[in-house]
Formats: sequence, structure tokens, C-alpha cells
Amino acid sequence: MNNTKENTTPLVDNSYYEAVTTAIRSEARRVMESGEVSAVIGYKSGRRKGSAQPVIISDVSRIDELVFAPTCTNNLSLYLTKAKKEVSKKGKIAIVAKGCDLKALAGLMSESQLKRENLHLIGISCAGVHGSNVKPSEALSAATIARKCRECTVHVPEGVDCIAGTLPQLEQLSALESAELERLEAMSPAGRWAFWKEQFSRCIRCMACRQVCPFCYCEQCLCDRNRPQGVETTPRPAGNMGWHIVRAMHLAGRCAGCAECERSCPMDIPLNLLNRKMANELKELYGQEAGMQPQEKGPLATYKEDDDESFIK
Amino acid sequence: MSRIGVFICHCGENISRTVDVERVAKAAEKISGVAYACEYKYMCSDPGQNLLKKAVIDQNLDGIVVAACSPRMHEKTFRKAAQSAGLNPYLVEMANIREHCSWVHEDREEATTKATEIVTMLVERVKMNKKLQPITVPVTKRALVIGGGIAGIQAALDIADCGHHVVLVEREPSIGGHMAQLSETFPTLDCSQCIMTPKMVDVANHPNITLHTYSEIENVDGYIGNFQVTIKKKARSVDMDKCTGCGVCMAKCPQKKIPNSFDKDLGMRPAIYVPFPQAVPNTPVIDRENCTYFKSGKCGVCQKVCGPGAVDYTQEDQLVVEDIGAIVVATGFELYSIGEKPKGSAIKGYGEFGHGKIPDVIDGMTFERLASASGPTGGKILRPSDGKEPQQVVFLQCVGSRAREKGISYCSKICCMYTAKHTMLYHHKVHDGQAYVFFMDARTPGKGYDEFWRRSIEDENAVYIRGAVSRLYQKGDKIVVMGSDIALGIQVEIEADMVVLATAVQPRQGADLLAQKLGISYDMYNFYSEAHAKLRPVECATAGVYLAGACQGPKDIPDSVSQASAAAAKVMTLFAKDELEREPIVAKVNDKNCVACFYCKKVCPYGAVEEKEIRDRQGNLIKVVAWVNPGVCGGCGTCQASCPSKSVELDGYTDEQIMAQIEAL
Amino acid sequence: MIGPIGLIRRIGPIKEMIMHAEKLKHDFEPKLVAFVCTWCTYAGADLAGTSRMQYPSNVRVLKFPCTGRIDPVFILRAFQKGADGILVSGCHPGDCHYMAGNFHARRRFATFRKLLEFIGVDLERLQFSWVSAAEGGKWVEVVTELTERVRSMGPMHEFKELELEECWSGKLDTAELKEAYEAIP
Ligand SMILES: Cc1cc2nc3c(=O)[nH]c(=O)nc-3n(C[C@H](O)[C@H](O)[C@H](O)COP(=O)(O)OP(=O)(O)OC[C@H]3O[C@@H](n4cnc5c(N)ncnc54)[C@H](O)[C@@H]3O)c2cc1C
Ligand code: SF4
Ligand code: SF4
Ligand code: SF4
Ligand code: SF4
Repeated sequence: MNNTKENTTPLVDNSYYEAVTTAIRSEARRVMESGEVSAVIGYKSGRRKGSAQPVIISDVSRIDELVFAPTCTNNLSLYLTKAKKEVSKKGKIAIVAKGCDLKALAGLMSESQLKRENLHLIGISCAGVHGSNVKPSEALSAATIARKCRECTVHVPEGVDCIAGTLPQLEQLSALESAELERLEAMSPAGRWAFWKEQFSRCIRCMACRQVCPFCYCEQCLCDRNRPQGVETTPRPAGNMGWHIVRAMHLAGRCAGCAECERSCPMDIPLNLLNRKMANELKELYGQEAGMQPQEKGPLATYKEDDDESFIK
Repeated sequence: MSRIGVFICHCGENISRTVDVERVAKAAEKISGVAYACEYKYMCSDPGQNLLKKAVIDQNLDGIVVAACSPRMHEKTFRKAAQSAGLNPYLVEMANIREHCSWVHEDREEATTKATEIVTMLVERVKMNKKLQPITVPVTKRALVIGGGIAGIQAALDIADCGHHVVLVEREPSIGGHMAQLSETFPTLDCSQCIMTPKMVDVANHPNITLHTYSEIENVDGYIGNFQVTIKKKARSVDMDKCTGCGVCMAKCPQKKIPNSFDKDLGMRPAIYVPFPQAVPNTPVIDRENCTYFKSGKCGVCQKVCGPGAVDYTQEDQLVVEDIGAIVVATGFELYSIGEKPKGSAIKGYGEFGHGKIPDVIDGMTFERLASASGPTGGKILRPSDGKEPQQVVFLQCVGSRAREKGISYCSKICCMYTAKHTMLYHHKVHDGQAYVFFMDARTPGKGYDEFWRRSIEDENAVYIRGAVSRLYQKGDKIVVMGSDIALGIQVEIEADMVVLATAVQPRQGADLLAQKLGISYDMYNFYSEAHAKLRPVECATAGVYLAGACQGPKDIPDSVSQASAAAAKVMTLFAKDELEREPIVAKVNDKNCVACFYCKKVCPYGAVEEKEIRDRQGNLIKVVAWVNPGVCGGCGTCQASCPSKSVELDGYTDEQIMAQIEAL
Repeated sequence: MIGPIGLIRRIGPIKEMIMHAEKLKHDFEPKLVAFVCTWCTYAGADLAGTSRMQYPSNVRVLKFPCTGRIDPVFILRAFQKGADGILVSGCHPGDCHYMAGNFHARRRFATFRKLLEFIGVDLERLQFSWVSAAEGGKWVEVVTELTERVRSMGPMHEFKELELEECWSGKLDTAELKEAYEAIP
């Protein structure tokens, strides 16, 4: 999903990353040293130049490992819930969160998976991160930036305990994903069916998308059940279609738009198009969208007596 | 392998005329898992049912499909029959091949094909059916009534007369509510006190009623049949057991100039007081805010003069916990105080009417107190400002009600009638006085109501002006009322001595807080919501909680009393059995898979879902999961469709049953 | 009048043929599934029966306590199992036996429709309605209309095709298998 035709001049200056990194470290040090939190979930540098990977630091001496770079793509909220269940049992934790990650954290709070008082949120003034299939050493540019970041509305997190860095002046990039969405919406149903049929036919049901999704925290996914089997489990066209419809439906009104599903898909299936579409629809229908604050009830957990019913005879 | 029995009914010829029943039976026989299939003329007849019972035993059946009429007709019949032959009734399903097939299709071929397919789908479904046992919930036969107005009193008396214990909780020092304040009541003009006080005394003397006055609901736990209610009894400073009600304390209290809210502040009362002479209980309370002893530590007169030594300054608030099976909410209403608009209220005020600024602009309840023989003026209509008898009185209806732009769009229902009443009372007391009424239209549905209203015009000289008032202002000792008469299309200006505003009926302040304690729902104005506007008008959606009187919406006395008796009947129905038995079509949570997202809890219309902690033997918390209270669950299945992990399942409509049906399409 | 081969099985005695002449016109009979709540629409369909109203026999009814219980997965599965058209029907707003089940269903299906539409399902095949226990006539109208509409649209190929694609024939003696088998050293 990269944008090869686009400009490769760096979008932000390196000093921005240095400033964010310093801010993360000093806040992390402060809360660790004061004993307020028992660990910090953040990013550290990876083996390849420029790369980054999630890290959980519970030892003050390792604080300087924390970094921020365009490769800090992971949605770390995962490490509080399903990926590392034991972490959240250790008491209050600090976590580094980009705007989209924060939306996931807020959603998880709404769904009783996390408690705000157990978290210390280090928000990042985020200029954007890499899309998939980008060399880690490359700078953040119109060509390397993730599609979701091109039309991000949450560059600066709100409601966090501290914000690391200040947002540099950002160039307005074209909204590729929305444009693609519009292109699909303009097609005939048959055209869209053909599009998705082709996309889904490639799915190998590796379930990477489910694995990285902060909201797919069910112990047993409906799509793995066999009594009764609602969705065929093998990677055949019918089952794939079922899986993707159920996935999109279950995430409707919840998805944070972090696009981790799309990034981790080995088959490059544009999953965030579905996510974005559903988010748009729910916003239009019920005026609700995933935000940076927890909501008492998501759009599909509530109703209004005068909800639209023009489609009902 | 299942052993399903399929029974195809001819229904005389109702089915067999268009459906080839033999062919359906033959086809059914071939479905895997079907051990027995037959057709019969009338399955619901005795011989038909016997056929079924015999087959259950002889063929050792573990599931039954009766292909006949609608399950809404005979499902119970066949389930009972199967049960009597030893088969769990929930292993019986009906295939509707009459209403949904033979009666609506003429083509024999088509109808037969469809009937066969319907039977196949139900055979597949019944294979997935599980044995279910009816659910029983024990019922504590004690009722709680909240609010001691006419509605609460009526409900309490009805339930108590039926032999059940009632706990009546009233916030004020005395029961009686608004009706105790009224002078005479429409449509018969009988004296309110005269019909109300005997009922109040009945409550006090009833062996089955425990009365907690000057008390409030602190907390409500539990569910239908099994509530635990904590009641806060506020410190009265007078020992109810010792006090004889002699009233010496009140006579001797040096603080005598405290406005009495029962008299709408027109009369005065001492710091130790009963709100009105006929109060029940007739035990005074000390208003600690105004009592000299509580303010400065000096005085103590009442304690000294009290013969039985009932006055006790050290009394503290007390919490009482009661076990309750059913709750009747009867907390009544409040009149909207349009002068001082409550803070944060969405409703706009009526500054233009000068209420609260012009002393002779009063509301309807104040007029009731003026007209009441036991009121502050002894029943004389006198102006609050100078005590003169007003010669011209203007009444304004719909002040606050039916004014969408001001925030309330509903009709307060009682004002047309009580304003007509007020014009009559006024005319009876001030013979040469003139009453004017500004009104939008007169709404007088009710027995004898329209006649009553007409009488006020035809016999009692009230002048009704259809139109609105735009402004009121004081001019000398008169109040100038500027309005329009839309019938004549002219501006009207009246120099009145007194103006009476029929202000909107509103829910009590804090009605929403009580609702949250009770777990019941309320509308945008805070009136409590009934479960169904037409068919369940006195029940709340929350099982075991019922509504009576004006807390549910504006009501007059006859309506309040009827609803109270209806609520009482509902409570008595619940108390008629020791256990509440219900169909086992309820949701259950699979603890292992539940991930505690609580979508189920958010969507459940009955509030049946709770959070449950799972602990190991050492008491360490392992996880939190959802738990459905079977006594409360209504069985809609909304939780299951909303549960992302399908960890909650509605018995009788499980995913397995439905999917089996779909697979058989 | 006796059109394509597919019709032959429907030809009965001459008298019936004439009586139902208009039914024989169709060379495609769609399969319709109706997911209905028991309190309103199921009862409405019962009323259509007791009133002996007539409507096409294509519909198969699945009874639910409430539209609130109806899971979008059921609709998906029904399409996969060969439904050409689907109806979801329950109580009018405010009439729900469980107070709010249909309100939740309304949101759920408003959303699900949008998803299916985006995937490329023709929404003409998916009908939602409120049919009360008193509306036998409306039930007939809704079912007839949907049947006729779907009939004119022809079969729902999309999901069925997916079902068939890449489906192993079950044969053990195909050339490819043989070749693969022989290739095992
Ligand atoms: C000016 C006026 C004139 C009227 N004239 C007539 C008439 O002539 N004829 C007629 O039929 N109707 C008349 N009505 C209507 C009549 O007053 C009502 O129908 C009736 O009082 C409603 O009774 P209720 O028991 O529902 O409420 P209320 O009388 O309001 O009683 C509610 C009781 O609940 C108590 N309470 C409230 N909240 C709590 C709580 N949280 N905990 C415990 N207790 C609580 C209150 O203190 C009160 O005692 C008139 C009304 C007005 C305003
Ligand atoms: S569905 Fe994809 S974009 Fe949405 S929250 Fe899950 S991983 Fe992120
Ligand atoms: S990550 Fe991609 S290939 Fe894997 S299951 Fe998800 S969509 Fe299919
Ligand atoms: S919706 Fe399902 S997973 Fe969530 S709390 Fe309820 S039962 Fe558990
Ligand atoms: S079946 Fe309905 S009433 Fe019962 S718990 Fe689920 S949502 Fe609540």
C-alpha cells in the first residue's frame, strides 16, 4: 500500500523525532522513578537501521532505549490486553500512544477492557508513520507515509497525561484512501462485488489482521466455531467472504482506524477501506465515531427512537 | 442419532385439501434422524394426542415435530402431551403448515413442497433442541410503596387489604401529598380533606402497613420478588413511640414565624411542627434549620414542656433495610415554579408574568390553599399583598404546558378542569367578583367533566377568552393583564386584582435519581416510563416495579386512584404464588468465553445483565464476566445478537438451532 | 406458454394448469427466507392464513422471539445456502414485546445493509419491514412484492458461485492427483 508515485522529500525534520524521543524518555523516567507506574510500554530501535519495535520497560536504567521514529507503527494498546495480559495486572502502566492508538485505548476503556486510572498516557504529537513495505531507513515522505496518516484527524492526542513533542507544520497530502473509497462507491454493485471478490480471494486466513486488532479480543472468535459453524474456517472463497463481512460488521462502530490489520496483512488486502467505510456510515447515520474519549455506549449498543428507518417498509 | 417423531395433521381438510399429507409424511420418514412419521386427521384431538404419547413411549422418541397449525395455537397442547409421556416439553416443535401454507396457497404441488421443506427445517432444528426446565424465583410477599400521595395510599391500602405486608415510604413528615392541600375537588366539588383524611387514618391504623414518613429510599438491590431496599429515616427529633400528639410543644415553641410550605408560604408555623392539623402521623418534627436549639444550643423549650418526654435532640438519621418482593412508585408531581427557573433546567421561564415579583400573581396550588377552609385565610379568597378581597381575578391556563418553544410540549391535563373549579370556588365566595380565563382550548374528557366546565361559564359567570397573555404589570394596586382574544381578533386589557397561573405539572426534582436507584427508565422530562404505552401501562420495564399516579405523567385524582389499584392488582398477582414460575426462554452466559465487553449489558432492555466476578478457591479474582439474572431476563435475545463472541445464548433460540434451520434451506 | 424445461415438473392436471395459469409463466422461482419475530410479524402471517389470503409460496419463515435476536450472520448464511431474497420483519417501533429489541435491530440492520451494499450485494434482495399482528394484508403485500422483484432479478449468483468455487470434486482419480501421486518418490 505505498504510494510510489509520490514525492520522496522528507515531510519532517529529524529534530522533531529527537524532541519526541527526549520527551518520552523524560516523562517515562519521571513516572517510573516516582513509582507512579511499574512499567512503560513504548518503542525501541530494532536491528535494522531506522526500524523500531514494541518494548515493555520495567527497569529505570533501560529508559533510554525508548525512541520515536516513522517506523513506530504498532498499536501498543495490544500489549495491555490480549498480547500481554499479565502486564496490566502489575498495577498502573505508562503507555506511549499516537492519536489512533489512543482511540483504540479509549474504545477498550468503553468496553471495560481497560481502566483509565490504571494508565498513564504519554501521547505523541504524531506526524505520521510508515506504510507497509517501506524500507525502515527511509525518511517519512509523501511516498512512504501510511495511507491512514494522510488523512489523520488525530495528530495531537487529547485527554492524555502528557504530550511528547510539538507537531511540526505538516504538508496537506491528498486523501488516497477516501479517494479510493469514493471510486468504489461510484461503482455498480456488480463492480464492487468483483473488486472485493478478487481481494478476498487472496486471503489466506492467516488471521494476522485479527491478531493485531486491539478490538479482536474475544477468547473464541465466532469465525473459529464449528458448532454451529457460522463462517467456514478454510481459506476458500465462500469462507473468506464470510470472514471479511463478519470482521467488518463486528468492528463497525468500534474500529479505531489504526490500520494495523491492513499493515499486517501479508496479502495486501485493503482492509482499512472497509473499516473507514463503516465508520463513515455510522457517523452519518448516528453521528457517533470512535474518538479519543471513552464513550458510554457505542453506536451499535444504543438507539434513538427516531433513528432513520427509511429502508424499512 | 436422534429419534425424532414427525406427526402431520390433516386438520380435518384444512391442511389435507391443499397439502398432500401422505407425501409429506413419506418424505419426513426419509430425513435422517427421523424414527417415526405419520399423518392423522386431528392431531390436537384426544386420539391425536394419544397417538403422539404412544409413539413417544413405543418409539423411544427424543424429539417431536408436529406439522399442523400455528405454534401460537397449539404449541402448549403438544408440549403438554409430550410431557405427560415423559418427554421434556421443549423437545417439541411445531411446523406451521396451515396458516403459513395450506391456507395461503392453492397449488397442491407447491403447497406440498413447501410443507415438506418446513417440516425438514423443523426436524433439523429440533435435533438441536435442549431439555429445559421451567425457572422458578422465590417471591417475598412484602410490597414497598414509595410516595404517600393519594396514589401511594390507594395502592398501599389495596395490597394491605389483600393480606400482604406493605412498607410505605414518604419523604415529607406526613402522608397526603398534593390532594391533602386541595380545597374542593372537581368534578363533584367535594371537600378534599373530607375524602382524603379517612384514607390517611386507615393507613396509619392498618395492621399490614409499616409507615416510614420523613424518609427516603437510599438504595435498592436485587430483582423481582427479591429486592433489598435501604430506607433512610431522617432524624425527626421526636420519639414516635412516646409522642401522644398533644401539640403542646408546637404551641410553646418561640419560633413561630416560619413560612409553611404546605400553605404555599402564606401561613406560618413553629420550628417544631406538623405540616397540617390532620397530618398522619400526627407526630411533629423539628425543622433543624430553623430551630433555635439547633442553631445556638439555647432554648430547649419543647423538650421541657413535653409531658411524655418525646423530644430528643440527639436523634440521628437511621438506615432500615427491608426485604421486598414488589415496588410501587407513586412519587407524584411538582408544579413548575416559573418565577425562579431552576438552575440548569432546559425549560425557559416566564419572566413576563412577574411570578415571584408581583405578590398577587399566584399559582393554582396557592389558590387552593386560599380557598381551603383549613387554609391560612380560613377559606376566604384574600390577596396575599394586602388581604383585600379581589374583585376581578384573571386565570391563565397552559402556563408552561404545551409550549414547545419554552421546553415543554405536553399537556398538563388537569389545569383546564381545576381552573374551571377555581372560577366556581371564587364565584361562590366572592359573589359579585368576576373571573376571566385566558385559554387555548378546553380539554375536558372525563365523566361529567365537560358539564362541569360549561357550568363554570353558564351558571357561574366565568368569562373565557380564547387567546394568550403577552404581559402582566403592576399598576397601583392593580395588575394589568395584556392579552389578545383571537376569537374576536382584538387586544384585551384587564385590570385585575389577582392573577392565577395554571402552571405546568412536572416530575419531582430528583425523579431521575430515584429512577436510577430503582433501575427504571424515564422520558425526556423525567416522568417514569411504563413498559408498554397501551398494554402494560402500570408496569415498568424493570420486572417487579410498578407505577401509580402523577409520577408517570400528569393525572387527576380518579386516574391516579385507578392506576394505583391497577398497580396493586399487579402486585397481588405476583404475590398469589410462592414462586414466580416462568418459561425457561432466558439467556445464559458461557463464563469460559465471555470477555466482559458488556455489550449485552448495554443493550438489554430489561437490565437483566449484571457483572459477575469469578474467583479461585483462594478468593483471587480470575475474571469478570456477564451474568444474566433469569428472574429478570425477558428472553428477547438482543444480547446474543450483540455479543461479539457469542458467549451469551438464549435458550430455545440458540445459534445451533437457528443455524440448523438455515442449513436445511 | 409452457416455456423452458425447468417448468415441466410443475405441469399438473389440465384443470389446475388453467387455474394457475399465471403462475406457470415464471421460469425462475426464487428461494426466499423470512426472519420474523414471533409477536408481530409471525402473528401477522398467521392472520393472513386465517383470512385465507393468497401469496406466492416461495417464502420460508424462521421464527425468532424478537428482531433483536436476529444476527447478521444468519442473513449471510442464508444467502450462502442459496436464498435469492431475504426478508427481516418485526414489530413497529414502540410495539416491541421486549420494548427495545426492534430499535437495536433497526440500527444493526441499517449498518449491515450498508456493509453488504459496499461489498456489492444488490440491496433489492434484502427487505426490511414492520408488520404487526393485525397486518395480515401487509404481510401478503411485502412477501408478494419481494417475490416478484427477486423473480424478475433472477437468481442470486454471487454467494452461490463462491460456494462452488475451488470446491474439491471429491474424485480421487483426477489427472492432477495421479500426477502428484506419481511424483512422490
Ligand atoms: C392546583 C391543583 C388542583 C387540583 N385539583 C384537582 C381536583 O380538583 N380534582 C382532581 O381529581 N385532581 C386535582 N388535582 C390533581 C391531583 O392533585 C393529583 O392528581 C394527585 O395529587 C396525584 O396524586 P399522586 O399521589 O400521584 O401525587 P402527589 O399528590 O404528588 O403525591 C406524591 C407523594 O410522594 C411523595 N414523594 C415524592 N418523592 C418522594 C420520594 N423520593 N420518596 C418518598 N416520597 C416521595 C410526596 O411527598 C407526596 O406525598 C389538582 C392539582 C393541582 C396542582
Ligand atoms: S480493525 Fe484494523 S484498523 Fe480497526 S482497530 Fe482493528 S486493527 Fe485497527
Ligand atoms: S491478514 Fe490478510 S490474509 Fe490474513 S486473514 Fe487477514 S485479510 Fe486474510
Ligand atoms: S456481550 Fe458477550 S462477551 Fe461481552 S460481556 Fe456479554 S456475554 Fe460477555
Ligand atoms: S435475552 Fe434479552 S432480556 Fe434476556 S438478557 Fe438478553 S437482552 Fe436481556
